[in-house]
This record gives sequence, C-alpha cells and structure tokens, in this order.
Amino acid sequence: MSKHAIGRLRARRRIVNALTTHVVGLGGAAVIGAIALIFFYLLWVVVPLFQPASVAPAATFEGTQAPLLADIDENSEIGLQITADGRFRFFSLADGATMASFESTSEPVIGAARVLGSNNQFVLRTASGLVFVDVRYPVSFDGEVRRVSPTIDFPFEDQPLSVGDLDGFEVHRTDSRVTLAALRNGNELVLTRYDDAEPGFPLEFGRTHSTVLENRYERVLFGPRGDWLYLLDKNGTIEVLDIVVPAAPQAVFRGRLLPERQRPIAIEPLIGRYSLMVADSRNRVTQWFLLRDEFGYRMAAARHFDFDARPRQLLAESRRKGFAVIDEAGQLHLAYTTSHRVTATTALGVTELDGAVLSPRGDRLLVTGGDRMAVFDIHNEHPDVSVTALWSKVWYEGYPEPVWSWQSSAADNAFEPKFSQTPLAFGTLKAAFYAMLVAMPIAIMGAIYTAYFMAPAMRRWVKPGIEIMAALPTVILGFLAGLWLAPLLEANLVGVVSTVLLLPLAILLFARLWQLLPGRVTQAAAGWQGAIIVPVLALIVWAGFAAGPSLELMLFGGDAKAWLLSELGLEYDQRNALVVGIAMGLAVIPTIFSIAEDAIYGVPRHLINGSLALGATWWQTLVRVVLLTASPGIFSAVMIGMGRAVGETMIVLMATGNTAVMDLNIFQGMRTFSANLAVELPESEVGGTHYRVLFLAALVLFMITFAFNTIAELVRQRLRTRYGSL
Amino acid sequence: MAKRKRTGWFASGEPWIWLNAAAVGISISAVLGLLLLIGSQGLSHFWPSDVEAVQLRADNASAAPLLGEWVGSETVSRQQFMEASPQAEIPHDEPLVERRLLKTGNRREAPPDFRWLDSHEIVSTTIPDDVIVIERTEWGNLYGRLVSVTLDNRVQEGEAAIDAFMAALERVETLRGSIVELEGGAIASVNSGLEKIRLERRAMQMSDEADPAREARIAARQAELDAIYQTAEAELRDAQAALRRDSAEIRISDGRIVTLNLADTVRAWYPNRMGVIDKIAHYGASLWIFLSDSPREANTEGGIFPAIFGTVMMVLLMSVLVTPFGVIAAVYLREYARQGAFVRLIRIAVNNLAGVPSIVYGVFGLGFFVYFVGGSIDQLFYPEALPAPTFGTPGLLWASLTLALLTVPVVIVSTEEGLTRIPRAVREGSLALGATKAETLFRIVLPMASPSILTGVILAIARAAGEVAPLMLVGVVKLAPTLPLDGEFPFLHLDRKFMHLGFHIYDVGFQSPNVEAARPLVYATALLLVLIILVLNLTAIMLRNRLEARYRSLEG
Repeated sequence: MSKHAIGRLRARRRIVNALTTHVVGLGGAAVIGAIALIFFYLLWVVVPLFQPASVAPAATFEGTQAPLLADIDENSEIGLQITADGRFRFFSLADGATMASFESTSEPVIGAARVLGSNNQFVLRTASGLVFVDVRYPVSFDGEVRRVSPTIDFPFEDQPLSVGDLDGFEVHRTDSRVTLAALRNGNELVLTRYDDAEPGFPLEFGRTHSTVLENRYERVLFGPRGDWLYLLDKNGTIEVLDIVVPAAPQAVFRGRLLPERQRPIAIEPLIGRYSLMVADSRNRVTQWFLLRDEFGYRMAAARHFDFDARPRQLLAESRRKGFAVIDEAGQLHLAYTTSHRVTATTALGVTELDGAVLSPRGDRLLVTGGDRMAVFDIHNEHPDVSVTALWSKVWYEGYPEPVWSWQSSAADNAFEPKFSQTPLAFGTLKAAFYAMLVAMPIAIMGAIYTAYFMAPAMRRWVKPGIEIMAALPTVILGFLAGLWLAPLLEANLVGVVSTVLLLPLAILLFARLWQLLPGRVTQAAAGWQGAIIVPVLALIVWAGFAAGPSLELMLFGGDAKAWLLSELGLEYDQRNALVVGIAMGLAVIPTIFSIAEDAIYGVPRHLINGSLALGATWWQTLVRVVLLTASPGIFSAVMIGMGRAVGETMIVLMATGNTAVMDLNIFQGMRTFSANLAVELPESEVGGTHYRVLFLAALVLFMITFAFNTIAELVRQRLRTRYGSL
Repeated sequence: MAKRKRTGWFASGEPWIWLNAAAVGISISAVLGLLLLIGSQGLSHFWPSDVEAVQLRADNASAAPLLGEWVGSETVSRQQFMEASPQAEIPHDEPLVERRLLKTGNRREAPPDFRWLDSHEIVSTTIPDDVIVIERTEWGNLYGRLVSVTLDNRVQEGEAAIDAFMAALERVETLRGSIVELEGGAIASVNSGLEKIRLERRAMQMSDEADPAREARIAARQAELDAIYQTAEAELRDAQAALRRDSAEIRISDGRIVTLNLADTVRAWYPNRMGVIDKIAHYGASLWIFLSDSPREANTEGGIFPAIFGTVMMVLLMSVLVTPFGVIAAVYLREYARQGAFVRLIRIAVNNLAGVPSIVYGVFGLGFFVYFVGGSIDQLFYPEALPAPTFGTPGLLWASLTLALLTVPVVIVSTEEGLTRIPRAVREGSLALGATKAETLFRIVLPMASPSILTGVILAIARAAGEVAPLMLVGVVKLAPTLPLDGEFPFLHLDRKFMHLGFHIYDVGFQSPNVEAARPLVYATALLLVLIILVLNLTAIMLRNRLEARYRSLEG
C-alpha cells in the first residue's frame, strides 16, 4: 500500500471517529433533551393559568357627544354609541373614525338598554314608546381583504311600541317570546308578554299584568332565563319574584343585601343572572345569589372583594363569571368570582369618566368621559383558576354551601365550570389505595416465598410467569374487570366476600393437616408448597362461591345489595372500587413482586448462613435477618407499584363509572386524573382554561410518579450501600 | 401442654410459609386463569354450536318454540329473580333459580336478540335439523327455516331451494368483491385526484398569480377524471343492481315469513346438519373472516383486519424511530459520556421515565406533536387545505412518535445492560490493536450487544402494542375509512388516523350499544392481542437467556 493511500485511510478513519463521537453525543443529548422537553412543555402549557392579567391603553380619540349606551362588536374592532338623539354611530376602535351612522328615531331618547337573551338587539325608550333596533355586522370579502359594514334594522317595524309611563324597565327575549318588566310610580310592577313576536311584524297582542308591591323599588332586573325578577330599591332591599306565570308573580325572597345604614353604589348581574354583584360604600363588592336549602329560598353572600377606593361602576363580562370595577380613584380592577381573584389593578389615567363597556370577549374596554373616548387592551386569559379554586371548597352559584366539584363541560356560557382537582385527586388515591390493598400482601408474600423458600426448579418458571403478567395490556385487564368481573361480583358478592374471609383460615387448617402427613412426604414437598396449594385454593374458591347464594339467603334475606343500602347506607355501583382494586391490583402485583423478589433473593448468603449457624430457624432468619436486609428493596418496590397504580388509565376508565364522587365506600366508583384526561382532553378547546387545567393534571401526575420513582431509587441505592458493608 | 405445642407450631413459621405459598399460588392461578378465560371465551365464539328449539310453557307470551343458541347461565336467588321479572311464576319452595341465556338473533324481526329464560319455563328442547343460520350484513344473525328462494324471478322450494340458496350466496360474494374493487380502485383514485385538483386551485388562488397554462392543464385533468368517474359509476350501478337480484323467504320461530334480499347476507349454514369435520371447516372459515375482514355493524361484527393492520403499522414505524435513538443514547451514556454524578442522574431519570404514566405521554403528544408541531407544519406546507388540518390532527405519525418516546427508556435500559456485560478486556484488546473508538464501537461492541438491543426493541414493541391510553389522544379512531398504507401516492399516509387492537377492545366492549352481541368478538380480539404480546415477550426472554449463557462462556 502506498504511503498516500495509507494517509487517506488514516484521514478517513479519523473523520469517521470524530463523526461518530459527534453523532453519538448529539443523539444522547437529543434523547435527554426529549425527556426534559416533556416536563418543560407541560409546564409551558400550564404556566399561563397563573399569570396575572394586564391592561394597556390602546387608543384615545374625540367622541362626539356623551352616549346613552356604548357597545363593542364581537371581534373587538368596532365601537357603537347610541346617543340621546337616537343616533347609532359605529366607529373604529383603532382611531375613532366613524364607519357608519344611522338615525333610529326622530324623537329624543330617554333611555337605552340591551334586550336580554338576544344577540345585539337594543331597545330605546322615547316619549311615545319603545323602539327595538337590531345591530348587525355583516362581513364581506374584497379579495383577501375583510370588510365589515355595520348596519341597523328594526325587527318589529319602526313604529314605537306604546307602553305608557315607566320608571325602570328591562326586556327579555327567548325565540318568539318577548317579556317587558317595568316599574311604574315606584310600587307598581307591570309585566307585558308577547308570545308571538316575529321579525318583520309589529309586536302585538301583548298581555299586560300589573301588580302593586308593598315596597317602592327603583330598579327591576330579570333573573335566570327570565323566570325570576329581582326588584331593588336604593337602600339595598331586594325582592325576588317568580314570574313563570306573569299574571301571578310569587314572592320567593325578600331581604336586605347590605347592613343597615349602608347603601348600594352599583348593582350588576353576572352572566346567567344567577348572581348580583353589589358595590357599597365600604369599598366592598359582594356576590349575592339565590339558593335553596332546607329553609327554602334565600339570598346568600357567597364572597366579597375589598378595594382601596370606593367603587364607582361595575361591569360584567359577557362570556364568563368575571367582572370589572372602576373606582373613584380612576383605577380599573379585573376580578373573578369563582376563583375569588383580582387579576389586575391598573390606573386608567382618564380625567373624566361617564361610562365604560367591556367587549363581548372581555379583551377590550371602552371608556367614555366628556367628549373623549379611550380604548384599553385587556389580556386576561385565565382568571377563573387559582390555587384555592383548584384545591379548596368553592361556593358555586346556586349551591347551598361551598363544595369540591369537578364539572367541566358547559352547556352554555352561563354555566359556571367547576375545576376542583380535589375529587379527582381523591379518586386517584382511592383507586390506588384499594389496588395496593390487594397487591401489596399478595406480591410481597409471594416474593418472600419465591425468593426464600421455593425450590429452584419451580422458581425458574414462576418468576418469568408472574413477570409476564406485567406485559399483559391493561386494556385487557380493564375489559375483563368491566365486562366479566363486575357482573360476576355483583351476582356473587356474598360468595366473594366469604371466599376472601375463608381463605386464610382454610389455608392454616390445610397447613395443620399437612403436618400430620409422614415426615418423608413433607420433607420432599418443601419448596413446592406454592404448587401444592393451588388445588386447595381452587377448592376454597369453589366452596365460597357455591355457598354464596345460600349464605346470602340466610344472612341478608336473599339480597345483599339491598341489605347494604338499608342497614349500612352503602350504595352499590356495579363498577366500583372493589373491582378496580382487584383488577389494578393484578396489574401492580408483577411490578412489586419482581423488585421485591430481587431484593430478597439478593440478600448475601453469608448473612443467612450465619443466622442459621447460630441456631435460628429458617423462619426466624427470614423475619430477623433477611426481611430486615431487604426492606429498602421492598419499600422501593411498593413505591414503584404505587406510582403505577396512580397513573393507570384503562383499568379505571373501564372498571368504574367515572363519576367524580368523594366517598370512601368500596362499593362506589371514582374518577381519577388519568381517566379524566383520556375522556376530556380530546374534546377540550386548545388553549382554553379547561385544556390547561387538564395539562396541569398531567403535570401533577408526571411529578408525583417521578417523585415516587426517584425516592424509591435513592432509598434503594443508599440503603444498599449501607447494608452492603455488612 | 397442648397450648405450648400450638404456639410452637406458629413460632416454627410453618403456617406463615403456607400463607406465603398461597400468595404465589394466587398470583400464578390469576395469570393462568386470565389466559384460560380469554382463550376459551375468545376461541369458542367461532364454533357453530347447535341451534335448539326451546318450547316454553304454553301460558308464556310466545307459544311457538324459540330458536336459538345457548350462551350462558347463572343461579340467582328467587328474590332477585322476581325483581328482574315480576310476572314469572316460580315455586315458593325453591330459594334459588337457574336461568339461561338464549341467543335468539332476529334483532330486527323479533327483538331482543338475547333472552334470559328461567329453567322452570322450559318444557322441552329439541335440535331440529332444518334450521338455517344466516349471518347478515346488518341486524345480526337470522335463525329460521328456509321456505323458498327467488333467483332471477324463478321460485324454488324444498330441498332444491337449499342448494340454490348456497349457490346464489357464492354469486353474491363474487359480485360484492367486484364492487369493493371498483370502489377501492377506480372511484377512490378519482376522488383523491379531484381533491388534489381542488387543493391545487386553492393554492393558485392564494399565490395570486394567473397561470393560464396551468389552469388549462387542471381543467383537462378534471374532465378526464370526470369521464373515468362516469364509466366507473355506471359499472358500479349495474353491479349493485345485479347484487340485489335474488331474495329468499325464511320462516322465523313465531311463524312469520321474512323476505331477505341476498345482498344483505354474508354467510349461511345448517349447524344441526354439520358433522365435526364440517364444523371444524366452518370454524376455520370464521376465524379467517375474523382476521381478514373489515368490521361491520358499529364494529360488533365482521373482522378486525384494519385494527391488526393499524397496530402493526404503528408499531413498525415506532420501532424504526425508537431503535436508533435508544441505542445512540445508551452508547452515549455508557461509552462516551464521562461517568459521574451527572450521568448517574440521567440514568435515574431515564429509569423513572419508564414509570411515568402512559397517559402523560399522550397528553404531551397531543399538545406538542399534534397541535404545536403538526399545526406549524400545516401553516408552512399545507396552507391551501386549511382550515381542515393535515398534520395538525391526531394521526399515525404522531402516535408512533409518542409511543417511541414512551418506549425509549426500555431500549436504553436494555442496551445499556448489554453494553455493561461486555468485558473491558474485549474493548481494550480492540483499541490495543490500533482500532479507533468508532471502529471498536461498530465492529466489536455493537455486534456483541446486538442481542440485548434486539431484546429491548422487542420489549418496546410489546409495550407499544398493548398501550391504549395515549393512543386515544394522538391518533386512534374507532373506525378508519382507509388504511394508512394503500396504492395512492405517497403510499404510506402518515397523517391518517388508524385503528388499533387495544382501542378496538375498549370501544366495542364499552361504547357499543349492544354489548351482549359484541362480547364474544371482544374476547377474540383480546385473545389475539394477548397472543401477540406473549409471543413477543417470550422471544425477548429467550433471547436474554441465550445472551446470558453466551457471556457466561465469554467470562469463563
């Protein structure tokens, strides 16, 4: 070979070597990076939940005149002001430029309000009656350019609806039914209902019912779905009426929202109108809602928020249970009821303040003052979550008391999502507890026997046999638990319980009888007890099951489930914690067994021999020497088994009813973190609070199991070195 | 004295030893019992059991004998029984009642298709040999007696009808095959061609550049496809008409006569006339249908081929991804990284990752791979298809990646174990002869560690094949319209959703409306999955044992 060729070969070898080093280093780093990525990605999704909100000024511009009512469109791009001369002016929120302007009525407008239960419908009050106006934001595309051209029209023709003299009023609409609630002369309630409101036709054939009230009120508000009315006076007295039958309003509750001598400054209903937020001169905003307990209906103050300055105006968000407070000091506070959090406090820096409105999405605020307007951008993604809302009892709207509850799905925006993690954590621990109750004794005792007493010929088969159970897909265990074991248990409950009770006694009895056999036989059988006992076990199980129905007849009158319910007050679900305990126990047994068996088998021979030489029996040696030495290994086996039980998904999903109840009853189901993730994550909106809360659950699972496993590993290593010196 | 002896017996530990032995016995019995249960239930489903005519007491609602197969029985207390069926008359002196489950089929004609009968109601049972069982494409099995067959408007009755019926079924089978071929071949390729044209037009619109030549080319291609479609559709219509030509009349157990279009039948047999050989043949055929056919009736009937195929595809893709990364990471940790606290920490972390719940990987996969990576790919490469996601939705690629991440610790641990076992002397010998580190790695170390790498990969595959929870989030569906591998370019469709054996078990067993009818199929699917995983695990164990023997000789 020429020198040249050798040089080339050497160079190539050097390059290959360097390349390999780099590729291996890179690959190693990639895998390690991937591991870290899991943790950091989960964290990255979860962190926004706990970030504070922010408010930033976006624009200020000249308004024309102080509006009666202002509004913002769905996309937070267009502002609307309704002025006293009946003009609807649409303007860009970016620069205040007028986009369109319409005249709705020639008469001066006394008051303007939004029609409840409608989408962008407004009602104006003039001297001759009410005028209904629909606001639309049609979108057209000019090539790729999106153009919105706001417009108004009159759903019930533009003739004012004559209603006579009114003080305060509100209009509620569901499909074709329009209800007008108004106060006249302070103490007369006027309810008018139109049952066949149709767009394009005037409102006709209304039936009016008038009721004289005991007290004088100045404000009337519809309750949830328009079924109730809240009547409020300026001293803080409230009366709640049931108006399902408008002809005969039923008084549901009457009382005060404030202590004596306190007066409300502002009252604002939250979305859904279950709750009223009441601001008073103690710089306090209190959440009140109607609830029903054993004493009947009452208004309850669920929680309150204290501020530094006197509140001036309350604004409710239109998609969730949040609200904003503007105080006398010109500060804006964003708060949320469910989580009991004030997420942001910002000085608005506005000199004059007449009114303010939040956009439908809650991402913009429009403030009007004098002839100026100011727009603020609000970034307030997840005000509905706080550590207390996730883990403590929360007093949800309409509930008689604070509870732990997981109920994430929302039928509509008015639903208050309940994101308490506690019932899920409870369910997770309950499932793991019952699984460990089944698995721990069997796995550890089995490991002791296999490692210490079993004949080597048998051990060669038994150990892989049990370990192969670890490979059994949990979906199969879950399916058997749900479709085979659960009905079997339900039908043979007494049989199963009697078998479990009978088992240890029968085994002891058998052991005693075995002792009577000639010593030659017992000597030969030593190490094979595990196999000899199997037919005995089968016999006991068969006997237990066979005796079950008769026992049930004798002890429980033929129906053990009915007995449980009537005598002990325990409900019986077919898919319950007992089923999960057995099925998940089976899934965990091989994990614990394998590690514990290794630990016991690995105890140095000289320790055992030493003990035996000193005259200890095999059993004494086991209890005093072997188990003591192997205890760290057994401990870590239990920890790792626990980690597996906590995260197991399919078995729990299939073998429980997946209801988030908090009840230790072994005959009831539970909902665990993992099953909850499997069920709800595919349906949750990406980036929403629900989605992030589910990621939080995943992160919690990740950290719990990681911690369990690490502790197990560290304990094992440390104690191994300590005992290793023996 | 006696008391001291008793304590002596307890102190000797003998009873505790027996209790410990019982724990082992319970574990072993549980494993074997489970396998036996799944095996017996899963295998018995395909056996064509006799159809019995069950005569109930005359005062019972249906006086005519019921036709059906026995599928189960149970003993309940009289009280529980009366709660379930209050009108039943049971003698008061019997505290326990046996009831039996009869599968009567005919779900459309005479529901329900499963009936619990208490043994008192049954007067007699016979095995009539003229009962035909017809497996239909919808509504499950039909049990009854063949009255007549109408083939091409010619009516045949009696024994001749039976032969004619069986022959007509074969014709139906052939026609159905040709229809499937048409739908899957010409029509499917036309449809995907049209979809491509739509996307191309969209892309042209978005690029804002007028290209008349390209536009003309697209139009011509569309006309061509339309023409193909017209012919194929006409052919398809003819075939479908031919398929629906024949019909048969069946008398069911209550005496009514049901007209059955042969297009709605899958198979038919006379179970009570079959000998053992016939039954075994039928059994084999049923098993083959189960393994090779697509599911029908919301997955409760037919076969599970797409689920098998999906599982295999996913697992293969996963092993392609996991093997290099697992091996490289192990090599890095054992051969290249400086051994110290950091590497020990990483090793613990890798070990612990194996204990992190699989659902967490699913959550990560959905958030990171599907929404983050997949969403970005869609933005960059498939803007014309938006808002319909291409890769930004659960699919085969993301499922494989997620499971690769889930199983990478298995491969790392196993490979590292193999690397540790290689004696130092072997490496040093190689280096002493002048080999570079890379050469030592490729020529000496990796070949020697290959069995443990293989063990790791097999264990990873076994784990992946049985995982369901993460897959529910990242790509598995209950019914995939197409397989992830087909004749359309690019042949392997990484973005498609797929079916999976484990998820099939969950879905059919827990989400289907008629659990009783689906149960045998779930057992059969479970059996298949268990067999696959057992075989994989046993292979891994055998490999490991052989490996141990080899290194023992190396050390000696």
